[in-house]
Amino acid sequence: MPENRVRVLVGTRKGTYIVESDRRRRGWKVHPVAHAGWDVFHVTADPRAPGTLYAAVNSGFWGPIAYRSTDWGKKWKEIGTPLTPTKKERPSPFDRGDSPSPPRPVVNLWHFAAGHASEPKTLFVGVDPHMLFRSDDRGDSWQPVAGINEHPTKKQWNPGFGGPCLHTILIDPRDPRRMYVGISAAGTFRSDDAGEHFRPVNQRVHAPFLPQPYPEVGQCVHHVTLDPADPDTAYRQDHGGMYVNRHGMEGNWQRIGKVAGAPKDDFGFCVASAPQAPGRAFFVPLTGMARTTPSGGLQVWEWSEKSRRWRTLMSPKRFPGDFGVQREGISADALDPAGIYVGTTTGQLVVSPDTGRTWQLVPYQFPAIHSVEAVA
Amino acid sequence: MVVVRLDAMLKAFTSRSRFDSEAPTVQALLEELEREAPRLRFKLRDETGALRRYVRVFVDGEDVSQSAGLGRSLVGVRTVDILHSIAGG
Repeated sequence: MPENRVRVLVGTRKGTYIVESDRRRRGWKVHPVAHAGWDVFHVTADPRAPGTLYAAVNSGFWGPIAYRSTDWGKKWKEIGTPLTPTKKERPSPFDRGDSPSPPRPVVNLWHFAAGHASEPKTLFVGVDPHMLFRSDDRGDSWQPVAGINEHPTKKQWNPGFGGPCLHTILIDPRDPRRMYVGISAAGTFRSDDAGEHFRPVNQRVHAPFLPQPYPEVGQCVHHVTLDPADPDTAYRQDHGGMYVNRHGMEGNWQRIGKVAGAPKDDFGFCVASAPQAPGRAFFVPLTGMARTTPSGGLQVWEWSEKSRRWRTLMSPKRFPGDFGVQREGISADALDPAGIYVGTTTGQLVVSPDTGRTWQLVPYQFPAIHSVEAVA
Repeated sequence: MVVVRLDAMLKAFTSRSRFDSEAPTVQALLEELEREAPRLRFKLRDETGALRRYVRVFVDGEDVSQSAGLGRSLVGVRTVDILHSIAGG
């Protein structure tokens, strides 16, 4: 496969799409749908094995099914699907949390994440209900990660509107033992021992729906990304606003969604960063009540760590309408200039090949888009 | 001996659409089916053993999915149909 390809992996309400272009990112080819008819919450590429993809498929008939492709999505193979441990398999502390007995089955697969570069067969998946699984054989088998699945704060966790899901998994590229997870509605957690133990890292993140405004856990985090140039810096889109943390999620998060010049609404679901745009994060603000884009059009905003200021990358007049964008709905590629990709719940895929200077609509009407991931 | 009939959706997992079984209960019948077609494991039932939402099991025409369920005896039964509800959109 030529190296000059750019691919966008699109998970939709009705299947998986691979959308392809060259490095100019001006014309796009949409390959035939895979997993047709099924909800695909996330499709991800394994950067350690070019061409290897994983899809989190959630079938109304068959339940959750994990798939792997090794040829950029031409063929897919069903692999192991994680299962809630049986009562016999669970240590007793498991039941102090929100897992009823008999346990709730795995309802949906939410998010795949490749492990650290030094662990080429390691893969993680976050699921509903509130669980993380690890595989060391590229998804053929799975083990529950007790450090988060049996966390002592679990009784204080609640489901978000999308269910009790673990939807964000971040591995520190400098250290395979440091990882972060994001859970709705429990917040973010950090591990420094490869998942043996996790601690909550939600300081000064507002939980407007709880009696205590700044609890240790209970925040409804929507998505988090690490700055590729400085993995100690994390950008967070939370139910309670847009935040940055510059210390590996330790200490206070700063609510950048309330600084002067910020978007009028700092609600939203998604956030992305790009290797070729260090110190910058891309958000899609939504209105808190309708969960659609404000001001009559799609918008993308950029936060700069260097200037500590906001700027809008897209006028709402460019794509007028009321759009929804979900937690995996924005992605950036690794090219220079960075490309930005936004998928909407009404099936539009919008692309900027020049970090927000210009935008184009991929001329294809997709089903409702759950996730986009750019690979280049 | 019970005659088991499978709906068209199950053809993705097993070549048989109709077969005879000596299984004494619905649960034993499903286990037999899952042994023969391992890819069906956790597709008709989740890991707690419960039937998935849109799976319906009819014993001599009676839907037992919500009532007697998997423990329903198949002694003296003539047919079992395993179907999926019409759903989607």
